[in-house]
Amino acid sequence: MSEPTLYGIVAEFPTPLAAVTAARELHDNGLRRIDAHTPYPVEELDEIVRSGHGTWLGIATLGGAVFGALTGTFEQYWAAAISYPLNIGGRPYNSWPAFTVSSFEVTLLFAIAAGFAAFLAASRLPLLYHPVFLAPNFARASQDRFFLSIEARDPRYDAATIRAILDRHGAMAIDEVWG
Amino acid sequence: MTVSVEHSDELPIMLPGVTLTSLSRDIGGTVLRPKMPLWWWIGFLVSLALLLLLFVSSGWLFVAGIGIWGVDIPVAWGLAIAEYVWWIALASGGTIVSALFYLTRSPWRAAISRIAESMMLCAAASAGILPILHLGRPGLFYWLFPYPNVMGIWPQFRSPLLWDFVCLACYIAMSVMFYYTGMLPDLATMRDRAETRGRQIFYGIMALGWRGSAGQWHHYKTVYLIMAAIMAPMVVSVHSVVGLDFAGGLTPGWHSTQFPPYFFFGAVISGIALVILLTIPIRRAYALQAIITEYHLNALSKIMLTGSLMLGFAYVWEAFGPFYGSEIAERTMFVERVFGMYAPIFWATIALNIALPQLLWWPAVRINEVLLVVIALAIIVGMWCERFVIVITSLHRGHLPSEWGNYSPTVWDWATFAGTIGLFSTLFFIVLRLVPIVPLAEMRELIRDSVPR
Repeated sequence: MSEPTLYGIVAEFPTPLAAVTAARELHDNGLRRIDAHTPYPVEELDEIVRSGHGTWLGIATLGGAVFGALTGTFEQYWAAAISYPLNIGGRPYNSWPAFTVSSFEVTLLFAIAAGFAAFLAASRLPLLYHPVFLAPNFARASQDRFFLSIEARDPRYDAATIRAILDRHGAMAIDEVWG
Repeated sequence: MTVSVEHSDELPIMLPGVTLTSLSRDIGGTVLRPKMPLWWWIGFLVSLALLLLLFVSSGWLFVAGIGIWGVDIPVAWGLAIAEYVWWIALASGGTIVSALFYLTRSPWRAAISRIAESMMLCAAASAGILPILHLGRPGLFYWLFPYPNVMGIWPQFRSPLLWDFVCLACYIAMSVMFYYTGMLPDLATMRDRAETRGRQIFYGIMALGWRGSAGQWHHYKTVYLIMAAIMAPMVVSVHSVVGLDFAGGLTPGWHSTQFPPYFFFGAVISGIALVILLTIPIRRAYALQAIITEYHLNALSKIMLTGSLMLGFAYVWEAFGPFYGSEIAERTMFVERVFGMYAPIFWATIALNIALPQLLWWPAVRINEVLLVVIALAIIVGMWCERFVIVITSLHRGHLPSEWGNYSPTVWDWATFAGTIGLFSTLFFIVLRLVPIVPLAEMRELIRDSVPR
C-alpha cells in the first residue's frame, strides 16, 4: 500500500442535533466536502451535506420494469407463436391475455433487481475499505453516535477553523484521519 | 418519516428505557454471543432430526417413485400440493407484514418485520420443494425454465401451473433482495460489534462496507420505499396465481372466479398467525418485551381477525355457488364435502378458521400470549385442513361417478410433511443464529420519535 495521505477530520457527536448544528455552520463557512455517518437516517443532515437529490433510483427501477415487461412478453410470444406454434383449441398463437401474468411477475422482478443494483451503484457499494473507518470509535457510527467527516481536499479546508467549529458544537472527539 | 406514537392507542409501542446504546447491545448480543442457549440447541436439533426425515423420505421417493404416496387417479394431487399451497400462504404473511404495512407507515411493523421476512424466506423454501417432489420426474424440473434446448420446445406459457412457477421463482428472488437491502445497515452494526476475527470478516463482507453516510441513507430509504411498493402487489399476485392453478381446472370445487382473492384471504390469516406464533416465543426468549409490546400483539390480532372475516366471506360464496349454479357435479361434490367421508376436516376448517378467531373481538384476548398462541396454532392447523379440503375433496368427486375415488395419505406423505416443517424450522434457527432478529436501523428511528426533542 502507498504512503498514507491526509483524509481529513472526523468528529464524533453524542446527539444528532449537535451534529446538525455543526454541519450547518461548516457548510455556512463554505465547506462542501462534508459527510455525515449516522446510525439511522437524519434528514436534516442529508439536506445540509448533500447538494441536490437525484431521482435516478426511481428511473433505474422504471427502466428495469420496462425491460422486464418487454422481454417477458416477447419471450412468450416468440416461443408460442414463432418458434413452436401449438394449436390449442383453435385459439390464436399469440394468446397474449394468457401471457400477461408471467409478464407481470417478470416486470416486477426486473424492477426490483434494477433498483437494487442502482442502489448499490449510487451508494458506491460494495466498498470494503474507506479511510473514515480508521477514525477512532467509528464502530459506534452504526450504533449510537453521530459522526461528521470533512475531507482535506476541500478547497476551504483549514484544520484550525474546523476544529474550533466542531468543538463549539460539543464534539466528543475530533481526530485527523490518515488513510 | 413521521410516526405518531402518542395518540395511537392506550398500549405503548415501546416501553421506556430503550436507548440507541441498549438496543445495539441487546440485539447484537443475541447474535454475537459465543454460545447459543439451551433452548436454541434443543430446537435446532429437533429441527435437524425432522430435516433428516425429509432427506430420507425424498430419497426413497427418488428411488421408488411417486407411488409411495397415496396419490392415484382420481386424486392425483395429494398432501404435497395441499401443503405447497399451505406453505406459500404462510410465507406470504411475512411480506404482507413487512411490505404492505411499511407503505401504511404502521409503527408496529418495524419491530417484527425481520421476524416476518425471515419466516417468509424459510417458508418459501419448504413451499418450493414440494411441487418439485410431486413432479414424478423431479430430475426434469428444469424443463419449467424457458431455456433453449435441443428438443426445440418451450414450457406451455398459457398454463396457470407455469404462471405459478414463474411467480414463485420471481417472488423468492425479489424477497431475497428486499430482505438483504433492509438488513444491510444492521449487518454493519454486527460488523462493528463483532469481537472475533471470523465474525468481523463474515459480517464485514456481508455489510459490503456500509458506513451510514448521508448519501447512503438517502438512497437506502428511497430504494426501500420503492421495493416495498413493488413487493406489496407482488405478494397479492403470488397467492392469487396459486388460486388460478385451481380456478383454471374444470374440476368441481375449483372452477371458480373467486379463487384468487379467496386464496389471498387465506394467506392473510395464516401468514399473520405464523408471525404471531414465532413472535411470542422470540419475544420471551430474547426478553424483547420492551420493543415488542402488547401494541404489536394487538395490531397483529386485529389483522388476523380481519383475515378470518374475509375468509368467512369466501367460504359463504363457495357454499352459495353450487346451489346458485346449475352444475350437478358441483352440488354433488359440495354435499359430499360437507357430509361425506372428509366432512370432519371440512368442519374443522370452519371451526378453526372462522369460529375460534372470533374470540379476538375481545381486547383482553388480543394481548393474552397464551390464548394468542392457541388461536394462531389453531388457524395454522385450520388452514392445513382448508387446503386438504380444496385439493382432495374436489378431486375425489369428479363429473362422472366412474371417476370417483378416495385418498388417504401414506406414512411417506406424512414423513414428507414433517420433513418440510423440519426444513422450515432448521432454516429459521440458523437465521436466529446469524441475523439480528429486530431491524435496528428502523427501531432507532422509533426511539428518536419516542423521546421529545
